[in-house]
Amino acid sequence: MSLTWRLLRGGGRRGMLSTWLTLGAVVISTGLLLFAVSANVAFSGRADRGAWRNPVQATGQPVAIEAGRIDYVGDRQITVVDLASLGPKAQPPPGMARFPAPGETWLSPALAELARKLPGDQLAGRFSDVTGVLGEAALVHPEELVAVVGHERDAPAMTVSRGDSLRGDISPTKVDSLAGVPSEDAEGYRILALIASVLMVVPLLVFGGAAARLTVARRDQRLAALRLVGATPGQVVRMTVAEAMIVAFAGAVLGTVLYGLAVPLLTRIRIGGGPWFASDLLPGPLVVLGVLVAVPVLVGLSAVVGLRRVVVSPLGVAKRETPPGMRAVRLVALLAVLAVVPMLGTSASVGVVAVVLGLAFLCINLVGPWAVGLIGRITAKRAKRPAKLLAGRRLMDDPRSAWRTVSGVALTGFVAGFLGLLSPGDALAGHVASEQLRLTAPNTAAVADQARERLAKAGVKATVKTEKNLVVTDVRTADLDRARTALDGLVPGRSATSEADDQRFTGQLLDDIATGTIVVLSVSFLVAIASSGITAASSVLDRRQTYALLRLAGTPLEVLDRARRSETLIPLVVMGGGSIAVGVFCASPFMMTSPNVSGAIMLAVCVVVGFAGVVGAGALSRPLLRAVTDDPAPRPD
Amino acid sequence: MAPRDKVVPMNDVLAGHGLAKSFGQTVALNGVDISIRAGEAVAIMGPSGSGKSTLLHCLAGIMKPDAGEVHLLGRRIDSMKERERSALRRTRFGFVFQFGQLLPELPAEENVALPLMLGNVSRPDAVRQARQWFVPLGLGGMEGRRPGELSGGQAQRVAIARALVTKPAVVFADEPTGALDQSTGHETMRLLVEATKHNGASLIVVTHDPGVAGWCDRTVEVRDGNLLHSAVSQ
Repeated sequence: MSLTWRLLRGGGRRGMLSTWLTLGAVVISTGLLLFAVSANVAFSGRADRGAWRNPVQATGQPVAIEAGRIDYVGDRQITVVDLASLGPKAQPPPGMARFPAPGETWLSPALAELARKLPGDQLAGRFSDVTGVLGEAALVHPEELVAVVGHERDAPAMTVSRGDSLRGDISPTKVDSLAGVPSEDAEGYRILALIASVLMVVPLLVFGGAAARLTVARRDQRLAALRLVGATPGQVVRMTVAEAMIVAFAGAVLGTVLYGLAVPLLTRIRIGGGPWFASDLLPGPLVVLGVLVAVPVLVGLSAVVGLRRVVVSPLGVAKRETPPGMRAVRLVALLAVLAVVPMLGTSASVGVVAVVLGLAFLCINLVGPWAVGLIGRITAKRAKRPAKLLAGRRLMDDPRSAWRTVSGVALTGFVAGFLGLLSPGDALAGHVASEQLRLTAPNTAAVADQARERLAKAGVKATVKTEKNLVVTDVRTADLDRARTALDGLVPGRSATSEADDQRFTGQLLDDIATGTIVVLSVSFLVAIASSGITAASSVLDRRQTYALLRLAGTPLEVLDRARRSETLIPLVVMGGGSIAVGVFCASPFMMTSPNVSGAIMLAVCVVVGFAGVVGAGALSRPLLRAVTDDPAPRPD
Repeated sequence: MAPRDKVVPMNDVLAGHGLAKSFGQTVALNGVDISIRAGEAVAIMGPSGSGKSTLLHCLAGIMKPDAGEVHLLGRRIDSMKERERSALRRTRFGFVFQFGQLLPELPAEENVALPLMLGNVSRPDAVRQARQWFVPLGLGGMEGRRPGELSGGQAQRVAIARALVTKPAVVFADEPTGALDQSTGHETMRLLVEATKHNGASLIVVTHDPGVAGWCDRTVEVRDGNLLHSAVSQ
């Protein structure tokens, strides 16, 4: 261990540069890994906190009746929960000090604030006898608008069945407790979060592996020398693992701190209608401990894999033997997974889709190095200029390393291809009239009369008519909330809603898919670009002797730089394009409409940003290339 | 020491006058004068740290001396910009080092063809010209092998071919046999000297091995940054 520590500290200026690069990579990886894990925990937290509003029919002695409806103010949704106690055993819902007495109303902080801000006839008039404020435990997110209204057990609101469960209305339900179960929507979000995490974690693992091998790349000659002087494979492995893990642990700690500092910013990401509680995104001690253990272990394992050739043969690295060829069976694996895709449809279970998606993702990663090797062979064969020849031969020589440079963007391309065209975009949401409020009523004529009376009293100019079981009120958009307030409670348990209100959930879902896609793509790109920068820098360090000798013999720096650029760009274009195509292919069974314009634009932006990012990140290591080639005296190290 | 203007004899291919170079407090060259005639093979000898490699780097335009001048065929090269010196090294000089000069990714023939391709010779022509060097240097059949698949002596012979393929005026060799056993080293030196002379090029070899120096026409000794004496080989 002490020798390892001395080797780590005594690595020299360039050695320390590699250590810093590895450290940086692990910091980014850990931070993003925590984000991916915390996002799942956060969605689960939301699902659990919202569960009390989704009642479960009592199987034993009921203690309360619960019902729910969705109301609106402006374009925001209000969840109204009606409660009635059936006896002294009724426990209060989460976030409330006691069970609401009949006639009492408890509001969420955001709703209470809004009710204070808006004129009373637009919102506050709907809630009489506001008694208390709901705590965090009752809310899905901090800006959620929730009202809990207490009733007598035989009040109409607690006895009359409610209509549209798709819109969020819940008929009065006798319950054993107010624990409830997570709603289907919440479960849906949880699964989407899981898929998003898979999409983010795979490139992260690839990135982490690249970072680990960066440590090894710098050390391989020294470790080969240690083998030559008689160190056993076990000793070499232990030293490598120890060195990689020391750096990885430091990176994991810093990454955790960085994530903690980023939480206030991350809470502002609006999904499901609002931002997050900081406690949602702060991982628990077990998660932190798990990450602090898992990251160094994974980095250590990756380092062992990277060193396999040194351990097997002490001369392996020094002699630069031809690396073992890769087999086309990798392609067969991808084709096998893709063959399953057309069999999937919108009816396929989310679990199966996630597995197929994950497999396709992993297979792209498996095929990547093989395809890069093939691209290298073709490039070298067709090359007319030295830069292309060098690039092609290098791709052939070490396709895995070249793949590591472009894998981030290629895998992101897959995500972009999948999500970019999958999102239905704005097409479905459309634009609907919002001047017509509709209220379902058992006795439309009587309710229409009362509606006219209430609206006139409130000074709202409106035309009220009846259609089948609906009372339809035509009203100016500016008067919409006053009309809603005037009509509140007219039909117990029902809200007057517009067509636009009914579309809001779809609109929110589409917004959330778009937000989720942007978050996943941002993370993937961050990983891809950081990965490219770090790999490019480590590639320069690895080949510093070759580069120095080439320059010494008169090779212009531009030729070396062009070769380096081609080495990245050629596989990037081929693999990035290929991955996008695979992503689009995987998304095709789930596309509800023809590919939308906004999705295609997002895809194009992704490609441009990704390519520019990788090329830019690679260009950042040009000064390093100049620095290592300015050294006139070629040294083996 | 101030640089002195010197009239360079026309049969001197390469000449250095008053060359001085320091690295911090360490004086590597202390006003060295040296000249190399066309087709001449010169060995530069000296113990480690004597300044012999610095002298080679200054003469080859790899390093700028702090003082003094370097002339190639009467043209001053030490004052050229890096880009010009780089082009000069590519076209007029050849290099053979102890190890590591071959690109491990390229097969032997492409390693030899690379300097020609850098000089805008088409790839088929460059490879054709490169192949012509393999049989004379005893490398027949090894054109497609990668450096990792060659022995040390074979790799040095590929390096010799690469140094000579552009028909340079001067070939610089820095400890060319340092990584080889004695018999392979001598064979490599024989091929290096013969091939260089056959092509009309001059050869400058840095070595601390008298056996290697014995293959050259003349030996100069460097000690503490000074040129001590010049001896003609027997």
